[in-house]
Amino acid sequence: MGIRKKGITRRDFLRAGTSLTLGGLAGLPLAEASPDRGGSKSRVVLVRDQNVLDGNERINPVVLEGMLDRAVTALLESPGPSSAWKRLVSPEDVVGIKTNVWPYLPTPEPLNAALRNRLIEAGVREERISADDRGVLQNPVFRRSTALINVRPMRTHHWSGLGTLLKNYIMFVPEPSWYHGNACERLGAIWHLPHVRGKTRLNLLVMITPLFHGMGPHHFSSRHTWGYGGLIASVDPVAADATGARILQAKRNAFFGEERPISPPPRHIAAADTLFGLGNSRPERVELVRVGWEDGVLL
Amino acid sequence: MKKALFLLLVFSTTGALSLLFARQSFATTLETLAAALPRSTGVWTAQDPDRTYDAETIFDYIDGAGEVYRAYNMRRCLSRRYTARDAPPIVLDVFDMGSFADAFGVFTHDRDGEPVDAGQEGLYRPGWLSFWKGRFFVSIYAERETKGAKEAVFALARAVDSSIGERGPKPEILAQLPPGGLEEQSVRYLHHPMLLNYHYYLSDENLLSLGPETEALLASYRRQEARARLLLVRYPGEEKARAAHREFLAHYLPGGEGGKAVRLENGKWSAAAGKGRVLSIILEADSRSLAEDLLQETGSLP
Repeated sequence: MGIRKKGITRRDFLRAGTSLTLGGLAGLPLAEASPDRGGSKSRVVLVRDQNVLDGNERINPVVLEGMLDRAVTALLESPGPSSAWKRLVSPEDVVGIKTNVWPYLPTPEPLNAALRNRLIEAGVREERISADDRGVLQNPVFRRSTALINVRPMRTHHWSGLGTLLKNYIMFVPEPSWYHGNACERLGAIWHLPHVRGKTRLNLLVMITPLFHGMGPHHFSSRHTWGYGGLIASVDPVAADATGARILQAKRNAFFGEERPISPPPRHIAAADTLFGLGNSRPERVELVRVGWEDGVLL
Repeated sequence: MKKALFLLLVFSTTGALSLLFARQSFATTLETLAAALPRSTGVWTAQDPDRTYDAETIFDYIDGAGEVYRAYNMRRCLSRRYTARDAPPIVLDVFDMGSFADAFGVFTHDRDGEPVDAGQEGLYRPGWLSFWKGRFFVSIYAERETKGAKEAVFALARAVDSSIGERGPKPEILAQLPPGGLEEQSVRYLHHPMLLNYHYYLSDENLLSLGPETEALLASYRRQEARARLLLVRYPGEEKARAAHREFLAHYLPGGEGGKAVRLENGKWSAAAGKGRVLSIILEADSRSLAEDLLQETGSLP
């Protein structure tokens, strides 16, 4: 009788002929079990603009708003942002904008403001819109929400490998630490909870000054951020996160001058694909549309 | 019978009192430390009040990194923020880890940086100074490094260092690391499988049955140009060590019985052997001879 295989080991990555860096991001060999989605790809738009930051690393709100418009327009292949937003939401919707308030790298306030503006222009009444992070379970707008916009910066994370769009929904559970097991692998389960499932209309991964390495209890050093000037948009949170992860990995390798895998491997991205069916994590299943500034794109 | 009851009463009372004193002394110690720490450093002044966190509330403070401190059995954390006009805030965090070993362990989680004269094995990287001393782990973080902030961070470090006073011994298991070619800065002391995976991804399952009762050491070696990674695990009992060894061979290193080196798919060599409560694993070595030599030197081979 053979021995039951116990989990995925380093040797599985080695046997698959891939490095831990690439394997960790693609979720190999887990990814081989990706559900069949009929070969459909997930559309991901990466918009970059070198003018979104001024010389003091402050965000230019006008440029950022323009990036948002270009991202949403390209994502939905619409003639302009107005029609794109009208496809994303309707005037009857109650919309929660799920932000991230981590003090060192929060969702930029100008982006929250731009999202509010676009939602209002699409016909959603102001009192039916709320932006929140830690308080979403108590927030009356979120409690009766029919639509969610998920927006946060990408960063490395001590326990999950990366702070991602997928991870941003951890505040939708009363005890986030319940989902910390095995590098937060089961974060995708949160997206299937009744008060979350099927509501997300748009995912925006903020890549303006991503954090590619953490140190110390606070896991932050401005030395480990850089002016990437990007915004990633997708309906598929897994594809957006996987794309952002590839950029952070490339930056780590360039900065450290050697292969430096994101640690721990962000298993929750691949698991959201293979275990929870939330989207596509593998690059060949991502249709990447690049808009704008190309220097140092790292993809 | 009466004598037995009397002794039981005495022991119960003594036990309860010592527990009470232990708790009081524990709390008082962190509070005493807080009282002894300076309220200002350079032009920076402490904001009131200090914050304290325990293993449950630590998430309110440092988000995901809280799991790292919990994995080292943190008891409490004292946090004080120093501010000054037109200068970056400086954040002092003192973690009471409850034991010398875990204070050392959590310090080894991040060993990048230049050695500095602060506490035990102080390290500095731009904006962040850390050290361990006794059962405390100390982190002093400037949100942006400036000349003045760096001086203030170092002054604060010296003050905290002298306030703690008592030094602590390193975990005994360190003595079992072969000295030849050991890269001291690479040594990590840990209990939790996630922390092993953080430093060296082995498996998404807890293949080695690591946990609060096990002590693990991860270390890198360099001999001439050849490199190797060694993992030592000490279990609470010999049977647990043997069981972990069997699991490791069955699921990760078939063919590695008797300490035989096995070639991995990347061309490197791995080997494992157990003796008593200790399991020694050469995770990767550039050559078979280095794997075999290093394993021999751990004393785990028969």
